[in-house]
Amino acid sequence: MRSSWLVLQKDLRTLGRTPALLVVLVAYPVLIAALLGLVAGYANAKPRVALVDEDGLPAHIVVGHHTFNVTATIKEVSRNVTLVRLGKDEAQRQLADGKIVAVLTVPPGFVATLQQMTKSPTLDVAVTRGGTSGRVRQQVQALVYTLNQKLQRAYIDANLQYVQLLLHGGDGKFLGESFNVIGLDGTKKVLDTLPQSERVKRIQRFVHDARLALAQTGDALHATASPIQLVELPQRGRTASLSAQVQSYALGLTITFLSLVLAAGALAGERDENVLGRLARGLVPSGRLVAAKIALAGIVATVLGLGVAFAFAAVIVIGNAPGGEPWSRLPLLAAGLALTGAALGAVGSLVGALAREARTASLVAVLLVLPIVFLGLIPPEVFAAAGWVSDGLPFAHGVRLFSATLYDLHPWGAVAREAAWLVGLGALFSLLARSAVRPFRP
Amino acid sequence: MSLLDARGVARSFGSRVALEPTDVSLAAGEVVALVGPNGAGKSTLLAILAGSLEPTEGTVERPKRVGWVPQRAAHYGRLTALENLRLFAALEGVPAARAAELAAEFDLPPDTRASSLSVGNRQRLDVALSLLASPQVLLLDEPTSSLDPAQRERVWRIARDVAAGGGAVLVATHHWEELAGLADRTLELVEGRLA
Repeated sequence: MRSSWLVLQKDLRTLGRTPALLVVLVAYPVLIAALLGLVAGYANAKPRVALVDEDGLPAHIVVGHHTFNVTATIKEVSRNVTLVRLGKDEAQRQLADGKIVAVLTVPPGFVATLQQMTKSPTLDVAVTRGGTSGRVRQQVQALVYTLNQKLQRAYIDANLQYVQLLLHGGDGKFLGESFNVIGLDGTKKVLDTLPQSERVKRIQRFVHDARLALAQTGDALHATASPIQLVELPQRGRTASLSAQVQSYALGLTITFLSLVLAAGALAGERDENVLGRLARGLVPSGRLVAAKIALAGIVATVLGLGVAFAFAAVIVIGNAPGGEPWSRLPLLAAGLALTGAALGAVGSLVGALAREARTASLVAVLLVLPIVFLGLIPPEVFAAAGWVSDGLPFAHGVRLFSATLYDLHPWGAVAREAAWLVGLGALFSLLARSAVRPFRP
Repeated sequence: MSLLDARGVARSFGSRVALEPTDVSLAAGEVVALVGPNGAGKSTLLAILAGSLEPTEGTVERPKRVGWVPQRAAHYGRLTALENLRLFAALEGVPAARAAELAAEFDLPPDTRASSLSVGNRQRLDVALSLLASPQVLLLDEPTSSLDPAQRERVWRIARDVAAGGGAVLVATHHWEELAGLADRTLELVEGRLA
């Protein structure tokens, strides 16, 4: 193994003398990760939804005894979408052009029906066709759900007013008609003044029971309106931008790029320098040459991967983000980085062995990085074949290893399983690389 | 006494035959010239004799210490000449002092990266690399094509010294006239076949 060590020393020295390459190797995956983050952010951005008002919504609407400021209410309930007021024709045109993803129409008579409180008014929605339609529909449904929740309180309060009237009596109004009712309290008083017969006593018992039952109406109405209520608990753990998933993918992407490109370029570089012939004379057999490149990938992946991990850990400490174990798991992470880097280095070595020159090898390696990473990002339940292919490459196993290493309470099972995968894949690809190293050609 | 024996060595690259079955023998104390036009198979034959290239058929018996100067520069461009010499000395199991000795003997700039050296200096570095293990057989593939007359004379002196020390030298060249006073015999290779 001495020959591998000597070649590795040479490679590390060479790498140290090309700082520009080192900077590019680190900066490129970070840039890609940032761009992916932006794309993911765009995917989560609020969709634009047109609001077509055919009813001429007033500035304020009174429902029950609640007054709603229309503009403020719309702003409050449209947290997940950006509502833009458009005319009917313009909305249809923009929907067809894809500038908006849905049209929510307030039909004529909407406010009147709402205020009558005898039947549900309707809103019409037209959703764009295509891949995002499901998500858009959910967003619009969420908007109507939030609006219903607000109106629900007004409806319940209005209904409770009638219940209070039944209980205590007084003047009321329904569908524009005024009336006066004696109420159960008044009925009780009248019954108390009557001669106490068995019939009167039966009515008194009914009034007593009815008063008790109606006193519970408020809770019963709320329970009927929302059989299950969702209570959001205070959040614990990492903020989304520093989640275990994000950190694991950032590490995975960075060292996949580094290890693949470095190992591929370094092995093909031996041919470019015309040194393969010298080494092939028994000085460095092809297996040891591949081993040196794999070790190079493992070392560089460990050093730069730890740099990324330290940066995350520093952000966590400085930003006082709760959760996670940013420091204590770093030694285990270092081992995981070395193993993943080496396995990816074996893949890179295979690329370098198959390519005729370093430039081709590096280009092919760069082109391979994104498919490998994206295959690892596709959930197996979405596309099973992607999961099988991804299982045959080190990236996904590396990401799962990092995730377990950094944040699982009991990581050893996952670490052992993924490490075994990485060792197996590393051995397989290094054997392939060894057999693919082409003979020197004068 | 024969130091190197190649019996029926041949080499093909895909469907292209670079070298027909060839016998070559180098005796102790002799300098042999290998001449022939471009593409005749000279470099292929030397690479096979040096052990860099496996023949598709035939066998080669060679001593442990064989020096080889390939036609194209074969060293690491991002290392200095001295670092190249030290690395290959370590790989050959030769003391590092021998590397420094050769760097001084060939006047190689110690701190300049090999990629920044002139073509002539890079060729001298390759010659120096071939001498690291004090070879019994020295195989030189167009070793003087980029050298000035003084440096050429230095290479021929080295060849004479190796032969005089009981070694053998095989020199592939287009310039047979340069070897007229040096070569003990000449082999001519034409279209992969010894004439």
